[in-house]
Amino acid sequence: MKNFVLTLLGPGPLGPVLALVFLLFLPLFIGESWVSLMVEMMALAIFATSLNILIGYGGMVSFGHAAYYGIGAYTYALLLTKAAAPFLLAMIAAPILSALGALIIGCFCVRLSHIYFSMLTLAFGQIVFAVALQWYGFTRGDNGITEIPFPPLLQSTQRFYYFALVVLALSLWGMKRIVDSPFGKTLQALRDNPLRTEFMGINVRLYSLMAFVIAGGFAGIGGALYAAFNHNVFPTFMHWGKSTEALVVTLLGGMFHFFGPAVGSILLIFLDKIVTSYLRYWSFVLGILLALMVLFFRGGFSGYVMGRLNAMGDKRGESR
Amino acid sequence: MDFSAFFMQFLSGLSQGMLMVIIASGLSLVFGTMNILNFAHGSFYMLGAYFCFAVVTLLPRISGNFWIGLLLGPLAVAGIGGLIERFVLRRIYSRHLLDQLLLTYAFVLIFDDVVKMIWGIDFQSVRMPVVLSGKLDILNRSLPYYDLFLILMGPLILLGLYLLLQKTKIGRMMRATASDAEMMLALGGNVRVLFNRVFILGVWLGGMGGALISPQAAISPGMAVSIIVESFIVVVIGGLGSFWGTLLGAFIFGQFNAFGILFLPRMAIIFPFVLMALVLIIRPWGLLGKPEN
Amino acid sequence: MILRVEGLSKSFGGLMAVYNVSFSIQRGERCAIIGPNGAGKSTLFNLLTGHLHPDRGRVYFQEEEITGLPPHRICRKRISRSFQRVNIFPMLSVFENIQVALLAVQRKSKMIFSPAQKMVRQETERLLENIGLQEQREVISGILSHGDQKRLELGIALAGNPLLLLLDEPTQGMSPDETAATMALIDRITREREITLLFVEHDIGTVFALAEVIRVLHLGTLIAEGKPDEIRANDEVQRIYLGERK
Repeated sequence: MKNFVLTLLGPGPLGPVLALVFLLFLPLFIGESWVSLMVEMMALAIFATSLNILIGYGGMVSFGHAAYYGIGAYTYALLLTKAAAPFLLAMIAAPILSALGALIIGCFCVRLSHIYFSMLTLAFGQIVFAVALQWYGFTRGDNGITEIPFPPLLQSTQRFYYFALVVLALSLWGMKRIVDSPFGKTLQALRDNPLRTEFMGINVRLYSLMAFVIAGGFAGIGGALYAAFNHNVFPTFMHWGKSTEALVVTLLGGMFHFFGPAVGSILLIFLDKIVTSYLRYWSFVLGILLALMVLFFRGGFSGYVMGRLNAMGDKRGESR
Repeated sequence: MDFSAFFMQFLSGLSQGMLMVIIASGLSLVFGTMNILNFAHGSFYMLGAYFCFAVVTLLPRISGNFWIGLLLGPLAVAGIGGLIERFVLRRIYSRHLLDQLLLTYAFVLIFDDVVKMIWGIDFQSVRMPVVLSGKLDILNRSLPYYDLFLILMGPLILLGLYLLLQKTKIGRMMRATASDAEMMLALGGNVRVLFNRVFILGVWLGGMGGALISPQAAISPGMAVSIIVESFIVVVIGGLGSFWGTLLGAFIFGQFNAFGILFLPRMAIIFPFVLMALVLIIRPWGLLGKPEN
Repeated sequence: MILRVEGLSKSFGGLMAVYNVSFSIQRGERCAIIGPNGAGKSTLFNLLTGHLHPDRGRVYFQEEEITGLPPHRICRKRISRSFQRVNIFPMLSVFENIQVALLAVQRKSKMIFSPAQKMVRQETERLLENIGLQEQREVISGILSHGDQKRLELGIALAGNPLLLLLDEPTQGMSPDETAATMALIDRITREREITLLFVEHDIGTVFALAEVIRVLHLGTLIAEGKPDEIRANDEVQRIYLGERK
């Protein structure tokens, strides 16, 4: 039994495939408001996983990641409302533009490291936010872009759920492939020891930039997905508050596991829903939870679970 | 634009700047000595305003209640800061930047709701102290006395800080730790107590900033979030951990805001960030900071 | 002549760290660089590997000038080094540490979409066996013992199939047992792969056991070079270095 659970949670496709099957059948068992919540969770999961490519795998703490989420969302919204573009085109254009934004901004940011990198990502993030807020003629400012037409085939919540599930599966699969590739391993080496990596002949800045662009592109998918489901986009999509939401979710779920952020997204959305029906003070609860996580459960939820399982399943005395 | 209008904007920017000096130097001090970037610094600023408000409402008939609030409010905030440092923050000193930011952000979330629990979400305000209400007439225009007060308070508090850093033993220890924390530890200097005191001082500065602004600004939970980013901008421009850098950064920030609003009001909110980005791109350690190796 | 150094000098501020150092190393030679602390040994290494630029002088590798080239270009010429402080990738497994180095050597690091798991598997296993860490391939390298970490570091340095290996205090911080094991490992590998070895060491036993040529650095200048017996007999060296130590 333990071995089964370990296989489920370890590397290898068994766990994700089962989760996918579970998600496929889920709408049959839960009400529409929960299905709706799941779609939100999926957009957040894509966004947070993309951020974790930078933070967990790349060691680059970005505070302005929401900018690319927002660019994706606005690209989708603008293409649909102003250009009457087809739905799929807008969905594909979103990550392309957000990746482009990440490329431009990343060129400046990757030249810095540590806190300076973080501050610059914050600055750019806020600049993008402010542009969206102030460029009234183009983005309609803080009114946002509303009443974005729903794609004709996806009118119902349930149908959109399945579409979102496909997008989630493809995005996570894509990011997993990247993280498991030679590039992904080299990125992790870069995180662990940039000097040594450089001495292996790796152009550290180039790899950092590549990670930045990839993360930005996938964030755009999350943003577009959310925009499509929500019918609205607002400048707050790009605010650093959104960036910290992804950070918190990643920490909650565990930044050292690929599916950590996705797990965290589920946790956050459900906790939010449950707690706010009883308490008005969700921030307070989240703050306490966050503090406890940072202090005592650094590996997040998935880290904790893996730790317990390893301790239980550990019979050969390989323990540290 | 004629000279008097220009001068008025300058003074307005100066008062904003001097207030920022007080707030940002708290952030900078803590970072310079303890290498902690306190995301919750804005929350302490907010608490300073709320506590001042609390004192004023608790003592409604006492004249000079604002001054009492100004005295007690920041002290109370500083006390809270000291407790947080002692029992929570201390545990993560050896950890990565991300942990510090997330933990201090947790406090942002907590305090956000705490003030809502106690005072609700409506805006609060503190009445301007009689002594400082009213305006001064200069050059056919008028400047609120309170702005002048802020323009004076900034340098005054900064002077106090300067004397502390240069003339006292604790100040010397702070400067020594800022340049070489490991050495300080090795020397067995009581770094723990020092860190606690520095944090308390930093928080006090933030709280004082909040209390000082309370007659002029709307006191609300959202104060914390807006001021923290502005503080980041100021210390980045001036140089993280640099004493004079904070002064310069705050001054520039204040002027940018004052004149930015005048000339390009729509883009005014971008200016500070653009400035921050420029500084980070061209000279990351800030105008007066020292480059790390 | 695989490595030739001519008149290398480097100063920091007013301090002369390395002054007018010249020597040549033959292919296959095992050369130890010794000297008291502050003699300039690490600086010399850094000059050879491109981490520092010399003020004066030149470095030739296989008769090609490499003075002032950046580190990643030098590593491509098949010069590898280890560092004084352990320089591995602590959050990666032992296997991944070696794998990532091999991928870099084979210029496969930019591949984004293929699983790394299947790549360079055999070479990684072989290298792991070579350095004796194949049992620990899944262990996260950050928790290895100091000695094992140093071995892993050696493995990373070997990934590039170097012609010249520079080791900066390879047995630093090791117990006598670990030291002996490490030196045996270095001995075996450099012989098997015909690697020219240049190493800095403080442990005199190791130096005399392993080195064919010893060069003594003092206050930045090369004061003696020769076979171990010659160095042992050299009065100046005795006085300056060995005498003090004993």
